[in-house]
Amino acid sequence: MTEQTNTTLLPRGVDAANFQQAIAKFRALLGEDNVLVKDDQLIPYTKIMMAVDNAEHAPSAAVTATTVEQVQGVVKICNEHKIPVWTISTGRNFGYGSAAPGQRGQVILDLKKMNKILHVDPELGTALVEPGVTYQQLYDYLQENNLPLMLSFSAPSAIAGPLGNTMDRGVGYTPYGEHFLMQCGMEVVLANGDVYRTGMGGVKGDKAWQVFKWGYGPTLDGMFTQANYGICTKMGFWLMPKPPVFKPFEIKFENESDIAEIVEFIRPLRIAQVIPNSVVIAGVLWEASTCNTRRADYTTEPGATSDAILKQIQKDKNLGAWNVYAALYGTQEQVDVNWKIVTGALKQLGKGRIVTQEEAGDTQPFKYRAQLMSGVPNLQEFGLYNWRGGGGSMWFAPVSQARGSECNKQQALAKKILNKHGLDYVGEFIVGWRDMHHVIDVLYDRTNPEETKRANACFAELLDVFESEGYAVYRVNTAFQERVAQSYGPVKRKVEHALKRALDPNNILSPGKSGIDLANPF
Amino acid sequence: MNVERRFLLKGMALGGLAGVAMGSSSLAMANTMLGGQARPALPTLALVSGNVAESAFLQGIKASNAAKQVSVQRTDLSLDFILGLEKRLRSGQPQRIIGLVDDASAALIIDLARSTGARVQWLGQHNATANASQHRLLSAEAASGCAPQLGLQLNACGTGFSLSEQRLHGNKAPLQMGAASRNRAGSEQWAATLGYALAVMGTADSGQAPLVASRPSPLTGNFVSFSIEA
Repeated sequence: MTEQTNTTLLPRGVDAANFQQAIAKFRALLGEDNVLVKDDQLIPYTKIMMAVDNAEHAPSAAVTATTVEQVQGVVKICNEHKIPVWTISTGRNFGYGSAAPGQRGQVILDLKKMNKILHVDPELGTALVEPGVTYQQLYDYLQENNLPLMLSFSAPSAIAGPLGNTMDRGVGYTPYGEHFLMQCGMEVVLANGDVYRTGMGGVKGDKAWQVFKWGYGPTLDGMFTQANYGICTKMGFWLMPKPPVFKPFEIKFENESDIAEIVEFIRPLRIAQVIPNSVVIAGVLWEASTCNTRRADYTTEPGATSDAILKQIQKDKNLGAWNVYAALYGTQEQVDVNWKIVTGALKQLGKGRIVTQEEAGDTQPFKYRAQLMSGVPNLQEFGLYNWRGGGGSMWFAPVSQARGSECNKQQALAKKILNKHGLDYVGEFIVGWRDMHHVIDVLYDRTNPEETKRANACFAELLDVFESEGYAVYRVNTAFQERVAQSYGPVKRKVEHALKRALDPNNILSPGKSGIDLANPF
Repeated sequence: MNVERRFLLKGMALGGLAGVAMGSSSLAMANTMLGGQARPALPTLALVSGNVAESAFLQGIKASNAAKQVSVQRTDLSLDFILGLEKRLRSGQPQRIIGLVDDASAALIIDLARSTGARVQWLGQHNATANASQHRLLSAEAASGCAPQLGLQLNACGTGFSLSEQRLHGNKAPLQMGAASRNRAGSEQWAATLGYALAVMGTADSGQAPLVASRPSPLTGNFVSFSIEA
């Protein structure tokens, strides 16, 4: 078989000769097997879910490194040949760009093989891991070593990883659900090849790297998240001690209009840490999709699903219009006290039906929600992709204050825009301490070019309209990075580009990430 | 080719058209063209989800010379399934994994192929109704000829379809084919042809996909097809 390589797809601004020289150097550094240029090696990197053509996010090559020294070597070669390199850790950022590069032709640096759990401290509840470590791997490690610690992860739990999720400021569902808040210590390979350790990591002989975040002087960890100033090769984070008692529960609310009251009910309990975890308030279609319901089971009509059908699904599947998932953690005494407070507050609210684990048994979606809240990996939430089918998924994730009126407004606004474009509101709110991550899966059929175009227009309109109301998303897929960067204003962008010029003058590290690209006029 | 039907061919190689004129399948021609690349069928796992297990997709696989090398497994979203598949992909045993599955399963399977270093020669998104189907394909050189084969057979059987194929490499414009619906007789032909094409991909098989009769409840909905080689 002839070894055909890609001769037409090149990184931006790089000619074929330079590219081939860089590839030869990558091979010398990493070995033949770690430099992927053949089409059948690169196709799995191009399965995107965004409403744009695959070609816009096709890589010219992918390389895999196994050591920090190799990452430094890759950066050196990229500088020599001005090769833009898009770094992924486990590459499971589904719906935000998956494993594909942000821009056509970028070389992917896939860190999946850097998958060592470097340290877990059971007394201090800390971990230090490499980029390719998955939550499942870490879960197995805790189980095998009988360590009384609990993980927090996003829904693709088993196959995603803590480093990548935290670097993209993802969230989970336990009391440690704000993942970046629990991060402690990073090792970053900078564009000039230097290896920078944040916090206490630069102190010779230090043992506090994973326990004290701030170190001395400026604390820079945050600037490496959702950014392109360095390649994170190690990350420390905190693990929650496994509580003696875990009590998950659900509260079902009958009407879509209940959302404002739900938020007002939850907020004081959350801020006071009576309910300590990242509570979820899931809409009916999110719930239905994750218990194996498909739109085609109810209708084959194109367009948005009618409210009448939504009500029918709610009834058939025994769901609420809103479904609140929360949990109590601690000793039996602590849980009993907090349970009394929660049920008392609900009684005062006068609506909502509580479902306990004993009542729910093994039924979905309660089961997977309880697993997520207790750090047990599962893949149940992938059922979302079967609701409409066709492989299209883009997360629209605006943040807001944890106020009923704000959530009510956002939900109504989102549903109106989605329905106008013939798509469904499939959303949930994740309650932070004082904020709401409003996460909406814009699901559409990528086999249908017209629907794909509509989904793209819908996403753009969601961003525009929400911005006009003073809202912005906290994270976005790679097709809309530049657009979202605009929402945060020109001064922020000038600062970000000044940093980029200082740290990465050749613009080699993930150009375009969060709209930071020296090709921009900032 | 029926001139009464809307039939578009863009960017299709001259060789492909010649293949049609000679009456031989594009797939057979492609496998012949690949010459030295053709090799005996590897042990193959066919993954199916939901009602694909009762569809013409498996009929297509069964009709191929590779059939005796193929075992079939249903997908689900359990950790057991995914971890089992990962173990299989990392086993070091040369093998192929083909399939027609739902979108949720596909998201997991294709990324598992990436993370284990397997090769993906074919990745298709399909939407099928009772009288029409849409196919968006991404293919590697190793799958050369499969997309035209699918398009030509759909054209021959008379169901409405649209098909576009992108290649990651090369300067060729994407292949685009389509036809309006003429009848419902072959409403599941796409699945049979696809099953056959995926089963024989890369082998010396020069046969034809079976023609399948329509059923009262043909396979409809959204699906993802793939060919993975580990």
